[in-house]
Amino acid sequence: MISAPRKTGLVFFPAFDWAISPEHPEREERLLYTQDQVMEEGLLDIPGIVEYRVRPAAYEDIQRAHFCVPDEAAVTTKSHLISAGGCLVAADAVLKGEVESAFALVRPPGHHAMRVVHGNRGFCNINIEAVMIEYIRTHYGIRKVAIVDTDCHHGDGTQDIYWHDPNTLFISIHQDGRTLYPGSGFPNESGGPNAQGKTVNIPLPPQTGEKGFLYALDELVMPLLEEFGPEIVINSAGQDNHFNDPITNMNFSARGYAVLNKRLKPDIAVLEGGYAIENALPYVNVGIIMAMAGLDTSFVKEPNYEKDYRPQSRDVTLNIEQLVETLKDLFLWGGLKKKPYDEGQILERKRDIFYDTDGIQERQNEKIRCCSHCAGAFSISSTASTGQHIMGVHIPMEACPACRKTALNWFQTGRKGAFKHVYLQDRDRGVYDVV
Amino acid sequence: MILGLDVGGTQTDTVLIDGDRILKATKIPTGDNLLLTLRTALDGILSGVEPEQIERMAFSTTLATNAIVEDRLGRTGMIISAGPGIDPACFSVGPSFHVVEGCLDHQGFEAVPLDKSSVMEAAEKIQEEGINTIGVVGKFSVRNAAHELQISDWVKGLFSHVAMGHSVSGGLNFPRRIFTTYLNASLHELHTAFSGALTHILDEKNLHGPRYLLKPDGGTIDLMRSAGSPARTAQSGPAASVMGALALDGCRGATLVLDVGGTTTDMSVVLDGMPRLNPHGVKLGLYKTLIRSIITHSLGTGGDSVVQVKTNGKMTVGPLRKGPPVAFGGAVATPTDALVTLGLLALGNKVAAKAAMEELGSALGCNAEAAAERVLQQMAETIAQSARAFVYDINAQPVYTIHQVLNEEKIVPASVLIVGGPAPHIAPYVEKALGLPCRVPPHYDVANAVGAAVARVTAQVTLQADTERGTVIIPEAGEEHKTDRRFDMDQAIAMARKTLCRQAMTIGAEDNSLETVITEKQVFNMMRGYRTVGRNIRLKMSITPGLIPQWKRSL
Ligand SMILES: [Zn+2]
Ligand SMILES: [Zn+2]
Ligand SMILES: [Zn+2]
Repeated sequence: MISAPRKTGLVFFPAFDWAISPEHPEREERLLYTQDQVMEEGLLDIPGIVEYRVRPAAYEDIQRAHFCVPDEAAVTTKSHLISAGGCLVAADAVLKGEVESAFALVRPPGHHAMRVVHGNRGFCNINIEAVMIEYIRTHYGIRKVAIVDTDCHHGDGTQDIYWHDPNTLFISIHQDGRTLYPGSGFPNESGGPNAQGKTVNIPLPPQTGEKGFLYALDELVMPLLEEFGPEIVINSAGQDNHFNDPITNMNFSARGYAVLNKRLKPDIAVLEGGYAIENALPYVNVGIIMAMAGLDTSFVKEPNYEKDYRPQSRDVTLNIEQLVETLKDLFLWGGLKKKPYDEGQILERKRDIFYDTDGIQERQNEKIRCCSHCAGAFSISSTASTGQHIMGVHIPMEACPACRKTALNWFQTGRKGAFKHVYLQDRDRGVYDVV
Repeated sequence: MILGLDVGGTQTDTVLIDGDRILKATKIPTGDNLLLTLRTALDGILSGVEPEQIERMAFSTTLATNAIVEDRLGRTGMIISAGPGIDPACFSVGPSFHVVEGCLDHQGFEAVPLDKSSVMEAAEKIQEEGINTIGVVGKFSVRNAAHELQISDWVKGLFSHVAMGHSVSGGLNFPRRIFTTYLNASLHELHTAFSGALTHILDEKNLHGPRYLLKPDGGTIDLMRSAGSPARTAQSGPAASVMGALALDGCRGATLVLDVGGTTTDMSVVLDGMPRLNPHGVKLGLYKTLIRSIITHSLGTGGDSVVQVKTNGKMTVGPLRKGPPVAFGGAVATPTDALVTLGLLALGNKVAAKAAMEELGSALGCNAEAAAERVLQQMAETIAQSARAFVYDINAQPVYTIHQVLNEEKIVPASVLIVGGPAPHIAPYVEKALGLPCRVPPHYDVANAVGAAVARVTAQVTLQADTERGTVIIPEAGEEHKTDRRFDMDQAIAMARKTLCRQAMTIGAEDNSLETVITEKQVFNMMRGYRTVGRNIRLKMSITPGLIPQWKRSL
């Protein structure tokens, strides 16, 4: 009889009663066939694979990672809270030591949701990984976290939330932004002034296959993780790199996902995108669950694998080798020249953000305090086409007194300004204030 | 009159019921020979009764359970078609297990055709080993039974019995389908012989009314119809006690039902007269199956369990049993000895029982009566602890829709119903340990036999329509129809109901007890790209466990 060498938690929440709209890729049917396959394989009967029941996340959990405008109720539905809550259940299972690793197989996804949330971007409202990571930091005293985003789309939301955080290594492997939404995720996006080199983007060319993904993983991702030495590794396990996926152009497979997971060995994997709901997701998810549980995945493949999978072309291979070489030079061999900043210097940046799903246009003005003692306080003022005009002030965990003072000054000044709402996210004291 | 019989591990109980009255109840020890035990029990209860008066009879037996646990299963070959996923060799069962080429996907479309030569090769190997019973199981065969039917058709000439996977249950779970089919096949000969012999005995005794066996879901099945899926009659004992509790009490509200026996305490929950059913299936011996069952938990603590006092002064009751209680010639102190010592049970050797309690008392620093009191408290505490965990686990079962998460229906038992021999004596202690009111119904000591007697026939069908594939399938009934794009939920419900009632009548249901309930109902639009290609309808309908209308007890 079969049993799992690694005890693995599974939080399965297909949200069979939720869709963005009836015809949207993010609809009720999305995980139906995955559930069928998982059930038919009998995975949940295997000793060592433990299924957990979801619970909704609280607004308090969301307030650690986001400024929701005007508030949480306005930009989330119950399904978002449950999807994020599913990740919290997975985190509890791992951090309480009940299982060695866990997979939150939940929807809707979250990695395009940024710190300021005016609505839905790229099918995401709430960044479920970030909500989970901040929950872990608050409840389990963990600081150093690595996120490896293997979704086909650049995890721009997660990148935004952790842009300034030197304690979070964010690595995104995705299809080149010149060829796919959201159009970002290039090597020169490498982190804010206090977290230089802690954001690593690996934009792979279209038609990257099993070989290319695993090459980038072995040559780049694994050494980066080793160097960073995280206490916990999170995988944003999007499945839209699949050769059957209808909205992307990559060439990955169920077998490839299983091998990737086996080598990466994330503590927690979280489902992100993946829209080949019939002929990819069922097999990819079975492969990931089995790989996490340490089971033999050599029999996992798509029924059309032999017929339709084409190994990666030579051009693509050369292209990837070159890219990886460049990135190694930058991020592993010290090629990335960190810009020097004066202690206490305030840097500003202006950005325009588009919410494709909800058609919202946002303009941000961000200030960050350069600091060598902590992650640095920052403030974001944001104006959206919805008529919202807000300011959010963030005090990081273990903030130094100078950063705290700066942040509180910004907050006090902001209160007197013309903003509709001013938020204070004080991670150190666990406070979230709205005025 | 109705006759009910329950074969337990140590005792076999029989009752005779007329309307709302238990006319007669007998208890005899369960012997090694099941048929002999049945014959003896029938002789006893029928003395002075005209056999023509018995209009119906039902049996809860241990035949299948014991055959599985004692590994007395018939030699059975298995032919499996699987496709991608877990290596099917992981689920190898029986002496001759073969995987053949061929594969269906989750929608039931053929991904790889069956390879006839590998099927025939497997069949011949099985035959060469002198095996004449086989099981045929395919992955996703409940979505399309074609491969199983084809294999079965190719090889049926070589074997005396072929069991197929798709008819076992409409549920998805390939390993469980393999094990359930294996059990059905390997129990077939034994069960056929048993039902033949029992029929013979009943004929001989001029008992000509309908005859039923009890199933683990608390429903019954016609004796002669049970041979098609004999595994369905295993593990019926715990279901008998739940149905007995339901018959004797009604179990309004959320009721925790405890059946305290000699070696174990079985627990279950009943919600407004409806026992909780296991969504996956019952475990029989080592095998997880797709057979529907009432959720029960068996705790190794009963009246005859060993009582021990650890060096740290902590007392344990169970999970071991070492022979009879001291009062009945045994060597080790048991809760029964505590009852005898306290004068709650006027049976056996009180002096010996008291001596055993005194010995416990010396380790605890108290007299025999106080020790006996402690034993019963500890027994109740052990039961209470296990019951709390049992209820917690039921409430922790995963849910898959927002509606279910937000409208969570947690079971919080409001009262406890206790049946089984020691019920009235242990009830006050359990009441205290659980902090819930405890009731003991009349005839608590033969509740299982009553439960078997008055349980109605249950059945279940799973309908899946896929208008893209153009099919609607009800695997339990072996039905597959072509359908068009307009097939909708209303049509699905009508079709499922018709099939369910027909299925139930076939296995012995009377037309006055065909209450159907929809237990699962989902419909999905199937999109490919931005185009709707069809509708996916999933429907489960069942006749849930309940009591026959003849049971008119005014509660
Ligand atoms: Zn990515
Ligand atoms: Zn994606
Ligand atoms: Zn600072």
